[in-house]
Amino acid sequence: MLLKAGSRSILVLIAVLIVLAIVPFFAGLFYQTFLTEILIWALFALSFDLLFGYTGMLSFGQALFFGLGGYAISIPIIRLGAGTGTCLILSILIPMLFAWFVGYFSVKLSGIHFVIITIIFALIGNTLGDTWTSLTGGDDGMAFTVSPLNLGIFQIDLMNISSSYWLVLGIVTLSYLFLVRLVESPLGKIFISIRENEERAELIGYNTRRYKLLSFIIAGGLSGLSGGLYSLTLKYSSADFLHWSISGHGVLYTIVGGTGTLSGPILGTVIIRLLEHHLTEFLKGTDLVVGIVLVAMVLLAPQGLVGLIKSVGRKESKHA
Amino acid sequence: MHNGSGTILETKSVVKSFGGLMAVSNASLVVEKGAMRALIGPNGAGKTTLLNLITGQLPVTSGQIFFKGEDITKLGPDVISKKGIARTLQITSIFSGLTVYENIWTAVQSRKRFFNPFVHASKLQDVKEKVEYMLELTGLHDKAHAVSSELSYGDQRLLEIGIALSTEPELLLLDEPTAGLSTDESVILVRKIREMIAGKTIILVEHDMGVVMDLAERITVLYNGVILTEGTPQEIKDNEKVRKVYLGT
Amino acid sequence: MISSLAIAILNGVVWGWIMALIALGLNMIFGLLHIINMAHGTLFMLGAVSAWYLIEATGSFWIALIVAPLIVGAIGYILERTLLRTIEDNPITTIVCTFGIMITIQQLVLMIFGGTPKRLLTPIVARFPLFDLQYPLFRIAVAAFSIAMIIALWIFLNRFKYGLWMRAVVQDREMATAVGIPVDKVYTWTFVLGSALAAFSGVLAAPILSVEFSMGNHVLITAFIIVIVGGMGSLEGSVIAAILISLIQNVASVFVAPTLASVFALTFMIIVLLVRPEGLFGEKG
Repeated sequence: MLLKAGSRSILVLIAVLIVLAIVPFFAGLFYQTFLTEILIWALFALSFDLLFGYTGMLSFGQALFFGLGGYAISIPIIRLGAGTGTCLILSILIPMLFAWFVGYFSVKLSGIHFVIITIIFALIGNTLGDTWTSLTGGDDGMAFTVSPLNLGIFQIDLMNISSSYWLVLGIVTLSYLFLVRLVESPLGKIFISIRENEERAELIGYNTRRYKLLSFIIAGGLSGLSGGLYSLTLKYSSADFLHWSISGHGVLYTIVGGTGTLSGPILGTVIIRLLEHHLTEFLKGTDLVVGIVLVAMVLLAPQGLVGLIKSVGRKESKHA
Repeated sequence: MHNGSGTILETKSVVKSFGGLMAVSNASLVVEKGAMRALIGPNGAGKTTLLNLITGQLPVTSGQIFFKGEDITKLGPDVISKKGIARTLQITSIFSGLTVYENIWTAVQSRKRFFNPFVHASKLQDVKEKVEYMLELTGLHDKAHAVSSELSYGDQRLLEIGIALSTEPELLLLDEPTAGLSTDESVILVRKIREMIAGKTIILVEHDMGVVMDLAERITVLYNGVILTEGTPQEIKDNEKVRKVYLGT
Repeated sequence: MISSLAIAILNGVVWGWIMALIALGLNMIFGLLHIINMAHGTLFMLGAVSAWYLIEATGSFWIALIVAPLIVGAIGYILERTLLRTIEDNPITTIVCTFGIMITIQQLVLMIFGGTPKRLLTPIVARFPLFDLQYPLFRIAVAAFSIAMIIALWIFLNRFKYGLWMRAVVQDREMATAVGIPVDKVYTWTFVLGSALAAFSGVLAAPILSVEFSMGNHVLITAFIIVIVGGMGSLEGSVIAAILISLIQNVASVFVAPTLASVFALTFMIIVLLVRPEGLFGEKG
C-alpha cells in the first residue's frame, strides 16, 4: 500500500462513518435500534479497554458507572424536569465523581485485590440501587419521556429512532476520537507503561497511583456516558443497569475483540451481539453459543479477534 | 578520578528489618559526587535491600538517607527518581511488550513537567531528540523498533541502563548488571557502561570480581546486613576479613 | 428483639459454615493454585442439581450427598485436563475461559433441567424450639457436616504429603518438579477436590435454597470475596471470614432490610482489603 498506516486508518474511519450515517435511509427501525445498541455497548467496552487494555487494571465493576450514568439521566428528568442536554453532561460528570471516590481507594490495591474491590463497590451500588426504590425505582426501574435535545440552532427529537441513532453515533464517534487521541498522547504512553511494568514506571518517576486514578476516572466517565445514552434511548433506567452481568459483557466484548486496541472492543461488541441476535432465532439458549465461543476463543485465539487478524495479516505480508 | 565536590549520598545508621530478620543493620555509607563505588558481599548480604531503601521501594525501619543534603528517607520511588536517582534491577525490569524506542521514549518523557494530553506524543520534539541521542549512546538505534522482549539478554540489560540514564540521574544504582551474561557479553556491557556513565555517580552491586576491580574506585563490603569494611580495590583485595567472608565456611 | 437477634446469630453461624465450605473449595483452586475459576458457582449448582436427580432416582438424600460430589469431581477432572491445562498460567485467559465454561454449563442445565426452581425436601424434618420459633434441625446438621468436612480437609492438608505438595507447587513450580513432585497431577487433583467440595456444599445447601440453574451466581462472588478477605491459601482465614461476613449480614438484617444488610458486609470487606490487603490471615507479598 502506498498510503501510510495513519492516513489509511483515517480513510477507513471516514468510510465507515459515512456508511453508518446513511443507515437510517436504508434500514428499518429495528436495525437502527439494533445498531444504536451496538454503538452504546461498544462505547462501554471501549471504556473498559482504556482501563484494562491500556492501563492494565482489570475492573469487573464498571456497571456501577454505567448504572450511575443511567440514573444521571432519569432522576434529573423525572424529579427536576431537567433538560436533556444537561442530563447528558451529568451522565459523564456524576459517574466521574463516583469514580474519583471509588478509584481513590481501589488504586491502592493491585492485581486480584483490585478486581475484588471494584466488584465489591459495584455490588454496594447494585444493592443500594435495588433497595433505595424511592429514588431509583429499584429493579422495576423508572420510565420517562424525553424532551428534545437543544443544540442551539437545531433540535434533536429523541422520540424519533433515527434522530436517536444519529445522536448516539455522533457521541460515540466523538468519544472514540477522544480515546484515539488519548492513547497516542504522552498521557497514553504513561498508562501503557503502567500496564507493561508498573514498578519500572514508578522507578522512572511516574506517580503511578495518580495516573491509575486518572485512567479510572476517565473510564468511569465514558462508562457513565454509555449508561446515559442507554437510558436515553430506552427512556428508562433501572437498578439492573448496575448488575455485574453488565460489567461482564464489557469484559467479554473487549477480550474477544482484543484488548489494548481500540478496534478490538468495537469488533468484539459487534460480533458477539450479532451472534446473540441471530441465535435467538435458532436456539433458546443463545448464551450457550456465547459460552462455547468464549472457550474456543481463549484456546485458539488468546489475542482476541484483532490479534488473530493481525497475525493473519503478518503471515500474508511475509508471503507478499 | 572524580572532583571531590562533596557528598552526594549519605545513609545514616539505616536499618531494615523484616519481622525478626535484620536485612540491613546500621548501614552508614557516604558516597562522593562523581564516585564509582562498588557494593559487594555474598548472597543475602543485604546489597539489593540497601538499594531498595535508597530508591524508596522499601520503607526504612530506622535511620536516614540523604541525597544532595536532602532527607529522602520517607519519599516514594517516583519522587526520588525525579530528584535524580535511577536504578537497574537484579532481574531486568523493562517494558517488555514495547519496542526499544518506546521504552526509551517513556523514560525520557518522564522528565517533562508539563505536556498537553491531547497532543500526539510524537510531536514532542525535545523528547524525540533526546530519544535519538539515547539510542545512539546505548548503541541500540538499529534495533529501535524491535520489541524489547525479543532482544538478547545482554541487550535487554543494556536497554535497562539506557532507560535509567534517560531519566537524567545524578546517581545511578546498578544492580548486578552482568548477572546472567557470558564473559564475552559482560566485557561488552562493561565497556558500554564506561562510555555511558561519564560524570555520573555510580553505585555498582556486583558479584563478578573482575568487573568490580576493573570499574570501582572504592569498594564497600556488606555481610549479613552489616557494612564490614570499605576501601580501595587493592585494600579490599588484601583484606583478611573479606577473604574469609567470601571463601570461609 | 433478643430472640430475633439470637436467631440471626444462629443463622449467621450456620450459613457461615456452609459458605466456608464453598469458599474452601475455591481457596484450593484459586487461593492456592491461583486459578481464577469463574465456574466455581456452577460446580456448586451442579452439586445441587445432581442431588435432585439422584434423589428422584434413589429417594435418598444421603446417597446424593456422597455421589453428587463424585460426579462433579469427575466433571472437574475433565475440565481441568482438557481445557484448563493449557491456559492455567495466564490469569486473563483463565478468567475468560472459565467464564465461558460457566455460561455453557448454566445454559445446558437450563435446557435440560428447566428454568423453574425446584424444591428439595430436607431429609431431617425435625425442628427444635428456639425462643418462640421452631428452628430446623437440618440447618444445624448442615453446619455440623461442614465443620466435619473442614476438619477432615485440614487434617488432609496438614498431615498428609499432598498438602505439602500443593504448597510447594504454588511456591515454586520448577523447584517442585525438580524435587519430584508430580506437578500436573497436583493441579488436576486439587481442581477435582475443589470441585467436589463445591458440589458437596451444593447438596447441603439445596434443601435450604431452591435448586435452579442460576443458584451459583451469588455464591460465586461471595466465595471469591471470602477467599480474598480471609487470605488466599489460608484455611482458617476462609472459615473466619465466611462466618464473620455471614454474621454481619444476618445481624444487620435484624435492623435494616436484608438487601441493605449486605451493604454492611460489603463495607466490612472493603475495609479489610484496604487495611490488610493480604487478608485476615494471609501472608504478605
